Amino acid sequence: MSSSEQKYNDTIVKGFLISGLVWGVASMLVGVWIAFQMVYPELNFGPYFTFGRLRPLHTNAAIFGFALSIIFATAYHTVQRLCRVRIWSDKLSNLHLFLYNLTIIAAAITLPLGLNQSKEYAELEWPLDLMVVIWFVIFLINYFATIFTREEKQLYAAIWFYIASWVTIPILFIVNNLSIPVSWIKSYSVYSGVYDANIQWWYGHNAVAFVLTTPFLGLMYYYLPKHIKQPIYSHRLSIIHFWSLIFLYIWAGPHHLLYSPLPDWLQTTGMVFSIMLWMPSWGGMLNGFLTLTQAKEKIKTDATLKMLLVGLTFYGMSTFEGPLLSIRAVSGLGHNTDWIIGHVHGGTLGWVGMMSFAVIYYLVPRLWNTNLFSERLANTHFWVATLGILLYIVSMWVSGISEGSMWRAIDETGALKFPNWVQITETLKPYRLFRGIGGGLYLIGLLIMIYNVVRTILNSGSGFKEIDLRIGSKEEKVV
Amino acid sequence: MNWFDKLLDWFSGFTDQWEKHGVKFTLYTTIAILAGGLFELVPPFFLSKTAEPIQNVKPYNALELAGRDVYQKEGCNNCHTQMIRPFKWEVDRFDPQHSYGKDGYSKAGEYVYDHPFLWGSKRTGPDLAHESQIQPSAEWHKTHLINPRDTAKGSIMPAYPWLFEESSIIDASKIADHMRGLQKIGVPYTEEDISSASSLLAGKTAGDALIAYLLKLGRDTAELSKSLQ
Repeated sequence: MSSSEQKYNDTIVKGFLISGLVWGVASMLVGVWIAFQMVYPELNFGPYFTFGRLRPLHTNAAIFGFALSIIFATAYHTVQRLCRVRIWSDKLSNLHLFLYNLTIIAAAITLPLGLNQSKEYAELEWPLDLMVVIWFVIFLINYFATIFTREEKQLYAAIWFYIASWVTIPILFIVNNLSIPVSWIKSYSVYSGVYDANIQWWYGHNAVAFVLTTPFLGLMYYYLPKHIKQPIYSHRLSIIHFWSLIFLYIWAGPHHLLYSPLPDWLQTTGMVFSIMLWMPSWGGMLNGFLTLTQAKEKIKTDATLKMLLVGLTFYGMSTFEGPLLSIRAVSGLGHNTDWIIGHVHGGTLGWVGMMSFAVIYYLVPRLWNTNLFSERLANTHFWVATLGILLYIVSMWVSGISEGSMWRAIDETGALKFPNWVQITETLKPYRLFRGIGGGLYLIGLLIMIYNVVRTILNSGSGFKEIDLRIGSKEEKVV
Repeated sequence: MNWFDKLLDWFSGFTDQWEKHGVKFTLYTTIAILAGGLFELVPPFFLSKTAEPIQNVKPYNALELAGRDVYQKEGCNNCHTQMIRPFKWEVDRFDPQHSYGKDGYSKAGEYVYDHPFLWGSKRTGPDLAHESQIQPSAEWHKTHLINPRDTAKGSIMPAYPWLFEESSIIDASKIADHMRGLQKIGVPYTEEDISSASSLLAGKTAGDALIAYLLKLGRDTAELSKSLQ
């Protein structure tokens, strides 16, 4: 047992990493399946495996199974090191891991059964919502107690992003999920109509902000400088982009409801703040990029660094596309089309996925005290995944813009050019097929990583030798 | 030193202090995120426009509500929207008979009894907000639900034959409970509405209920519009 394992609790980090791998495969498998359902409706096996029931399973497993597992793994790993103390309570952290996985398993059963509240990314029925609240509170107590007992005075930037997430997620989750239970398996949202839509997209957009963005910025602020052994490029830039990001993000929700019956002033507020969000988002991206340039000559050889680079690139791209899509005129074309699906997946596969993979490649050898089984396989994973993402988003851009254009096409007499809906569906089929193939490649990349990770773990304890990525350091051969 | 640097100096002057105090930092973070949330979530509750039903819009009866539950259960909202935007091409497509007069787009007052809202975010199939006016035939809907390819060749919608099977007959007492729940959060159901559940739902399958729901969508406002024309 290494000295770090005595001081810090790494078992919990391992637990959440493995959860992340399991739920990652599950979510992406379902994702690829439902992608092909969009081309071959025969793949709907009723009643439990139809698109309408599997799509929430895919999103919940990806966001709350995969992404959140990685978030918790990195949160436990970084908070102990940045505070220089062991996590406050091992027991609470184990309970957290257990109840968390229990909830995800229950979600994986109840969603195909059709038990859902039908609010996007908040589909789980009320008993499961209560379970989520319980383990989140357990986690919060443990996390903040660790911070309050810390031996390091300064709270490092990575921790800010985690704290902002922990504060916001419960507020979003509780307000949006308020509902009246009518039986053990059924409830109705207490809000109705336009209110409900407003609150749902305040939640929906900020789930993107505080589950899929801020924790991943937090992990970037820790693992990127750690990996290249160089400080973050600018502390000041992190201050300014942190505070502006968390302040502005909350306002952006109504851009999901442009041209809807939501009051106009709200729509405009949402649009204006979404456009302003571009700056703090790129502030984060630039801080990452400029940090990374300190080790740029290693990008060719280091898979982790490549993934961080591509992750940041996709972060920059999605946070440019987001404000663009929230402009009324652009939303007029893009809303409700495949373009949005492409946009979301640019963020999730590109930013969240790549950053997660980078962290897994960073953590697994250190946690299991051995070198990575194969750097070459990690590189293969990188290329397969990148190709997969590109196929996915490019086909969705083409599909979405075709879709939106065909809906609005009007001939000389003022009549709809494509009144027949199926004609549009048929036109989109090839692009949707390519989307499925892109997603499939991404899944294959993940499976390559899992093989690599399993082989690495089987070799555990053989000693880990770090590669020094500092400027001017001599290459060390990995045995 | 230019003004931006000065601004940064001033700002980091106090954020630097917060970074050493966990409680302060968390508190100020909370304030930062609450500002926007409160600004956007609270005022709509005081705007009557978002809460008052358009004249003639009535709550779902027991059969329609049961159908709405089925719609929700099957996740129809993952592919069908229920919100028509104020564009000519959107109104023409989803209000072909011009049942709603000049402005066949969606209005806040149509949704006041919708717990939850079902606008959806992806329109893979057509919008259904005015389905009662676009396809009023219950028979057509049944054929379509059992196998969508029979009414629309090339459709990618899943088939839902089980909705019409014997095992899918709806338990009326459950729906009465659902109505009582909704009554508590402001849907103006009368005792008569609730007691009518057993007769409305007698022998009805989930599919029958779903069709009743689809034929309710847009009906009340279309009727109003026709009576005004």
